[in-house]
Amino acid sequence: MTRILLNSRLDDCLSAWRSAGYRVIAPSRSNNLTSFDEVASAADMALDLVLPERTIKDHFFPQTEPLVRYEIKKQQIDTEEMLPPDDKRVFFGVRPCDAAGLDIDDPLFGWDYKDQYWFKRRENSVIVTIACTKADPFCMCTSVNLGPDNPKGSDIMLHPLKDGRGWQMVTLTDRGKALLETVVPMLQEDAAETASLANVPVKFDVEKAMTWLADPANFESHFWKEISQRCIGCGSCTFLCPTCHCFDIQDEGDTYSGIRRKNWDSCSFAMFTMHTSGHNPRNTQSMRWRQRIMHKFNYYRGKFGVNSCSGCGRCTRQCPVDMGITETLQEITNTAK
Amino acid sequence: MGIQEQYRNEAAELLSSGAVKLVIGYGGGSTPDRRRPVFVRSAEEVSRLVLDSYCVANLSAYLISEGLLSDGKNVAVFLKPDGIRSVNILSAEAQVNPDQVVILGFNIEGEQTTPLPGRKAADYAPLMESLRSSGLSPELQREADRLEQMSAVERFDYWKEQFAKCIKCYACRQVCPMCYCRRCIVDVNQPQWINTSSHTLGNFEWNIVRAFHLAGRCVACGGCDRACPVNIPLRLINHRMSKETLDIFGHFPGESADQKPVLATFRQDDPETFIL
Ligand code: SF4
Ligand code: SF4
Ligand code: SF4
Ligand code: SF4
Repeated sequence: MTRILLNSRLDDCLSAWRSAGYRVIAPSRSNNLTSFDEVASAADMALDLVLPERTIKDHFFPQTEPLVRYEIKKQQIDTEEMLPPDDKRVFFGVRPCDAAGLDIDDPLFGWDYKDQYWFKRRENSVIVTIACTKADPFCMCTSVNLGPDNPKGSDIMLHPLKDGRGWQMVTLTDRGKALLETVVPMLQEDAAETASLANVPVKFDVEKAMTWLADPANFESHFWKEISQRCIGCGSCTFLCPTCHCFDIQDEGDTYSGIRRKNWDSCSFAMFTMHTSGHNPRNTQSMRWRQRIMHKFNYYRGKFGVNSCSGCGRCTRQCPVDMGITETLQEITNTAK
Repeated sequence: MGIQEQYRNEAAELLSSGAVKLVIGYGGGSTPDRRRPVFVRSAEEVSRLVLDSYCVANLSAYLISEGLLSDGKNVAVFLKPDGIRSVNILSAEAQVNPDQVVILGFNIEGEQTTPLPGRKAADYAPLMESLRSSGLSPELQREADRLEQMSAVERFDYWKEQFAKCIKCYACRQVCPMCYCRRCIVDVNQPQWINTSSHTLGNFEWNIVRAFHLAGRCVACGGCDRACPVNIPLRLINHRMSKETLDIFGHFPGESADQKPVLATFRQDDPETFIL
C-alpha cells in the first residue's frame, strides 16, 4: 500500500499548500516559452513537457540578483544587504535532472563560505519531482549515472500511475514529509501500478571519458580545436544548464551610490577570462570549450566528488550550432582517443 | 545528379586544385532534422557535406572568424541568397575581401533545394534585384501587421514582455554575420558602458542597441531569431528597421559589394525625417 495523489485532487493540494504559506511553482507555458513559474491552478501547469526550456536554477540563482545597496558619504560608506525573501516554495513537477542540478551545486555555494542567497532559497523550497515516463533524443541522464527516477535533490518523488489517474508519492526527506503532512486528507492509500520509466539510452562511457580528461597529455590535444570549431561562443549552453553557476559581480549606479549585483557569466564568453591588461589566458573558443568540459568532468569532481552535469541535454537541445556535452564525450569515448 | 552530389564534387575539385583552402558547409546533426556547420579541408572529406532543405543557417558568419582570411587564401562557403547579401555587406564594410570567397549558392523553396549559378558575390547581382520585393513569411507578416496596428504604448508593452525573457546569452549577436565587432559595446568594461544585468532595463538597452546597429544591415536570415534560447521574435525588430531604411533611403542591404552603408553615408537629398 502506498500513498496516491490523484490528478483530480491536485488543485486541493495547491490550496492546502497555499494556506500553509507556500508559493507553488511549476513548469508552465507563457509568452512562447516554457519555464518554471508560479501557478494558480493545476490547469496552468505544463506537466506534459519532457523538460521546460529553462531550468529551476532560475529560482535559486537568478540571472541577475541584487546583493547589497551602497552609499558612499563624506566620512563613511553605508551598506545594506539585500537578502532574498523568506517565502516558502513548493516546486511541483520538477524532473530528476533539474532536481539533481541543485544537489550538485550545493557544495559549490557552501564551499568556502555559505552563500546565503542560494541557501536561504534552498532551505525554504520543497522539490516535488515527477519521474520521467518519456524522454527526447537529447536526454542523457543515464550517461552520467543518474536516471529517470533518480532521487538526487528531490524531497518527494512522484511516480506516474500506469492508468494515468495520478501519482504514487514517495517522501525522501524531512522537508518532503512536512509538505506531505499538509495534504494527507487529499491522498489515498492504494495499491496501484506505476507506469514504466522512460527508456534513456546510455550515450557515452563517462568513466572512460573522465580517464581521458584526467590525462594531462590530452590537455593540448588537437581534438579540442576540431570539436569546437563551429562553436560561436554564445552563452546558451551555460545559461540553460541546471548546474552551471558562474557569475560576475557588478556595481550598478553612479560613483556615490548604487547596487552591487551578482550576474550570470559564462566560460563561453571571451570576456570571462580577460585580464585588465588585455591579456586573455583563454583566448580561443577551443580553450573555452575545453574549460567547460574539464570543469564539469574533471575539476568539479576533484573538488566536490561529483560531476557537474545532470544529463538534462539542454546544452545540445538549445545549441544554435548543434554542439553539446553529448557529442564531445561521445567522440572522446567512441574513438578511444 | 542531385544538388548535394553536384556540390560535393565541386567542393572536392576546389580543394584538390588548391583553389580554396577550406569549404564551410553543412553536415548531419544529432537528430534527423538537424544540420550543423562543418569545415572540410580535403577532397577526401567531402562526403561529410549535406545539402537539403534543412540547411537554413547563414554560414557567412564564419567568414569573419579572426584570422581566417588573413593569409590571402580563398575559402568556399555554402550560402543562400541571404548569406550572399551578408558577404556583400561584409565586403562593403571592409571585413572580407570578396575575391577570397567562393560562393556555393543554393536556394530553398519548400522541400526543394536548387543550385544558384555563379561563384562570386558579384555574379548574383540580378538575383539581388529580384529579392528586393520579397517580404516576410505569411505567418511573420501577420505578426508584424498586428504590431503595426498597436498603439505605441501597447507595442512597448509587447516588447517589454518579450525582452523580460532575455538572459543576455548574446547568441543573437554571436550567430549574426553582421555582428563582427571585436569588442561589442556591451563588453566594453573600462568603464562598463552598458549594464551587464539582465533585468528589464538592461535587456531593453541590449536589444535596442543591437537593433540600431543592425538597421540597414540585417539580411533577414533569421539566425538570431532561431538561436535565441528564450524565443524572442527578433526577426520582427530587424524587419521593422529594414523597412524603415528601405522606405526612407531606398536601401536594400547587401545588394552589391560596393553599396555604401546607409547609416554611415550622407546624401544631400536624404529625407530629413527622423529614422524611427
Ligand atoms: S556550444 Fe553551442 S550553445 Fe555553447 S557556446 Fe558554443 S555555440 Fe553556444
Ligand atoms: S552540461 Fe548539458 S546535459 Fe549536463 S546538466 Fe548542463 S545543460 Fe544539462
Ligand atoms: S540581425 Fe539576425 S536576421 Fe539579421 S543578419 Fe543578423 S542574424 Fe541574420
Ligand atoms: S539570443 Fe535572445 S536571450 Fe540571448 S541575448 Fe539575444 S535576445 Fe537575449
